[in-house]
Amino acid sequence: MEQLMADLKVQIIEALNLKHLKPEDIGDDQPLFIEGLGLDSIDALELIVLLQQKHNTKIANAQDGPKIFKSVRSIAEYVRANQAAA
Amino acid sequence: MKLYINSVGIISPSLQASGEWQLPRVDENYLTCIEPDYTQWIQPQQLRRMSRIMKMGTTAALMAVKTGASKPDAIIAGTAYGCLEDTATFLTKIIELNEEALNPTPFMQSTHNTIAAQIALLQNCQGYNQTYVHGAFSFEHALLDAGMLLTDTPAQTILTGGVDELTKAGHAIHSRFNKYRKQNTPYLISPAGDGTWAGEGAAFFMLSGANESTVAIADVHTFMASSSEQAFQQLDNFLKQNQLDTDAIDFLLTGKNGDQKNDLFYDQLIDVRFSDQAFGAYKHLCGEYSTSTAFATALAYTILKHQTVPVSVLNGSLNTPIKTLLIYNTYGPHHSLILLTV
Repeated sequence: MEQLMADLKVQIIEALNLKHLKPEDIGDDQPLFIEGLGLDSIDALELIVLLQQKHNTKIANAQDGPKIFKSVRSIAEYVRANQAAA
Repeated sequence: MKLYINSVGIISPSLQASGEWQLPRVDENYLTCIEPDYTQWIQPQQLRRMSRIMKMGTTAALMAVKTGASKPDAIIAGTAYGCLEDTATFLTKIIELNEEALNPTPFMQSTHNTIAAQIALLQNCQGYNQTYVHGAFSFEHALLDAGMLLTDTPAQTILTGGVDELTKAGHAIHSRFNKYRKQNTPYLISPAGDGTWAGEGAAFFMLSGANESTVAIADVHTFMASSSEQAFQQLDNFLKQNQLDTDAIDFLLTGKNGDQKNDLFYDQLIDVRFSDQAFGAYKHLCGEYSTSTAFATALAYTILKHQTVPVSVLNGSLNTPIKTLLIYNTYGPHHSLILLTV
């Protein structure tokens, strides 16, 4: 789980071009949208694509998005659960 | 209808927005822009999503707005290829990912009007917003549209510009047509050779119909010509419409690009119509690209404003004052004339 979260932080920085951040600047439970990292709806689309491309994980229900993308930990948990179910 | 140039913003391989010049760096057979620190102009949060041409175009526009007295009422851009890098990224991803899970950002920004739209968002400009994608006439047609808008409402201020970027994929495709020099040469124009240098740039102008500045674009004309005679006839008609003859042109700024096949026309033009006039060239300072006349217009603005022609631009001697300047550019069969006065 720790390794997955570390990988996700690197991938998020690269995918969203957050050059001013280092992986250690992103807290495991830090909110990603609005407050926290201040990501927006286009970033949400980029994150969906990232999960598909890098983790072979699809968001089955769009309404689950806010819960899944709440933090790096919630994304990692979703990826782990989804991969476990696959 | 005269378009008074209130201010200029430019990002180019040589001429800087401050009016200073830097020696362009030639890599093999192309010139690339000297880019400013974009964080001085755009918030990092907005900057991170922008491609290079968006940064160049938007920042050049913001430079023009900052220098000008007022915010724009309308935004008109000209670009031949638009956001080429994002287009190439998007198309490549379609192939690589088998048309699935495509990144949204390059897709959204692959359209030609992204730059004018981004400027409008940053300026909170909800007025007229247009992008002309007409090959080598893109910038000229943006100017013509600005002229029509200002004829209706002269008090408006219109942000108008031309922008195109040089990308690896674009350069490779154009190279297939043998457009560019195959050997490194320190000089482009003199002597001419086979092929030219590729280039890029962004230049934006705050234009107004009211007399706020002394430098103005007096007229713009575009036409296709398959022979020198046809082109000369168009030139004569253009000058006649402006109650001018060739003797009244104090400085001719040509689009010579160093390709001897192309420059033969300009040699004829100077011999036949402008043998007694001062003339020069500009493409060794920005390279050849579809909206290079935006760079030429920025250069013409500095020439008329400061009443001096840079040594690297001038060919022969110059008589001052320079009151009337004509930009003559050809790009294949495309010919364009931009007349500036002071």
